[in-house]
Amino acid sequence: MKKTLLILTRNPLSLIGLILVAIVVFSAIFADFITPFPEHVGAVVDFVNFNKPPQWPYIFGTDLVGRDLFTRVVYAYRISLVLGIVVLAIAVPIGVTVGLAAGYLGGWAEYVLMRITDVFLSIPPLVLAMSVMGLLEPTLTNGMIAVTVMWWPWYTRLVYNIARSEKEEGYVLAAEVIGASKTHIMFREILPNCVPSIITKMTLDFGFVILIASSLSFLGLGVQPPTPDLGSMVAEGAKYLPDSWWLTVFPGLAILIAVFGFNLIGDALREILGIDQ
Amino acid sequence: MTAPTLKIENLKLGFKNWAGVSNVLHGISLHIKKGERVALVGESGSGKSVTARIVLGMLQQLKTARISGSVEFEGINLETLKPASRHALRGTRMSMIFQDPTSSLNPVYTIFALFKEVLARAEPGITSERARQRAIEALADVAINEPERVLDSYSFQLSGGMNQRVMIAMALANNPALLLADEPGTALDVTVQAQTLKLMSELVEKHQTSVLFISHNLGVVREFADRVYVIYKGNIVEQGATAELFANPQHPYTRALLSAVPRITGGGIPDLDDDPGQFLAPLVAHPSYSEKERLA
Repeated sequence: MKKTLLILTRNPLSLIGLILVAIVVFSAIFADFITPFPEHVGAVVDFVNFNKPPQWPYIFGTDLVGRDLFTRVVYAYRISLVLGIVVLAIAVPIGVTVGLAAGYLGGWAEYVLMRITDVFLSIPPLVLAMSVMGLLEPTLTNGMIAVTVMWWPWYTRLVYNIARSEKEEGYVLAAEVIGASKTHIMFREILPNCVPSIITKMTLDFGFVILIASSLSFLGLGVQPPTPDLGSMVAEGAKYLPDSWWLTVFPGLAILIAVFGFNLIGDALREILGIDQ
Repeated sequence: MTAPTLKIENLKLGFKNWAGVSNVLHGISLHIKKGERVALVGESGSGKSVTARIVLGMLQQLKTARISGSVEFEGINLETLKPASRHALRGTRMSMIFQDPTSSLNPVYTIFALFKEVLARAEPGITSERARQRAIEALADVAINEPERVLDSYSFQLSGGMNQRVMIAMALANNPALLLADEPGTALDVTVQAQTLKLMSELVEKHQTSVLFISHNLGVVREFADRVYVIYKGNIVEQGATAELFANPQHPYTRALLSAVPRITGGGIPDLDDDPGQFLAPLVAHPSYSEKERLA
């Protein structure tokens, strides 16, 4: 772990990624202390200072009801990160378990599980998430559910492929011989060998989860106002381009930074751990 | 007289597929007495490895496998055992060594973690200290000089020969009655293979373990085994004491097998009498080495 971090700081690209992610995580955690107007997260109206371009103390400018944009972007990071963590924390265990079962058990379990997975994979992810959101009320929780539903099959397919090849390894046979149970072989023998690939994919995906969640709220299907969300801020501001450019550019850059940072780290991890996709 | 450690009688195996049943074993019989080292020799696909898997009960769960005949372990018919008690035999009373030692050890665990798991099969809830002590003893038995260092290593940090010795130590750690060695060391170079075989040979003698040694390497078999069964296309074609069988092969297939060994002194690969028809001749047992006589 320490070694991996050390290698990460040596490569300029991954160092940039590390710095960007550090900025995002730091601002999300310490949002209460670094933002000038924490109360602007909610439904606050200040018609004296509305729609102002970037200036002190509003470094990102203010939105159409006079709320500080910087404050709202930083709090939106917090929500995005929580969303990313929750989505991956649910999607990855489900996807990995299904993939392990399909890959190791084989037979009809493999057939049924992988065909179900294929059905999910065959629908374009955003369309699937949109249809789930269309069925449910547009709230943060439902946004997480929608993204989770579209996310787990990718892990199933990843782990399935690894499990299929690991299952032929001698140590699986050796474990069968000494009488290890199927769950033991799946979770204690094969799973640890999938971990590098899973971690790499999770890092890469973290940015994409944020992006997809933002896309959903951009389309009006995600987090609802007054809760700050990068996607809905971009959507809102897009109506006033190019005059009130700050309304779109800063939330957009914020999405870019997060996605870019996680992608750089993920790519570097993939190289360090020697995983080809 | 005590029952032989392993007694296989008229074992038949077929795999069902869409075209019907393809038969793999056509009724083989063999036995191993306590402390005996028996080799099962044959070419690839002759049914050596599946025999070992049936003994371990690993093919029985396969839906497509059709098995008949009996397999007795220490006088108990394995078919009559409940799955749970059968399961309990694996890794404790019977164990197995494989071709490629390095791939048989999970690369994500240290040797000690793997050892502890093996020891816990026979002694559930074994403490780490006790497992460590027993692992060190077992490694000392296979002539590993720095057992502490080896225990804290991962399999990919050790050489193939080292891993093979670790495998042997693990396989014998629970004092099994029967050791199935499926072409051990085929993946290793010849000198290391010779060393580990010698070690294994000494150890099984010390532990009084019966060994079913599966191989296609005649030189190795000659060094290691007390008795030999030659298997061809799912039939035992010749059986007898090692020295006698090598000196005086009776069955056409055994003769062809022995003459197929390339000579180190040159002359290339010998021409073989390529007439598979005669290889199907019935079983030849050397005098006083038939199943009936040996088990009487």
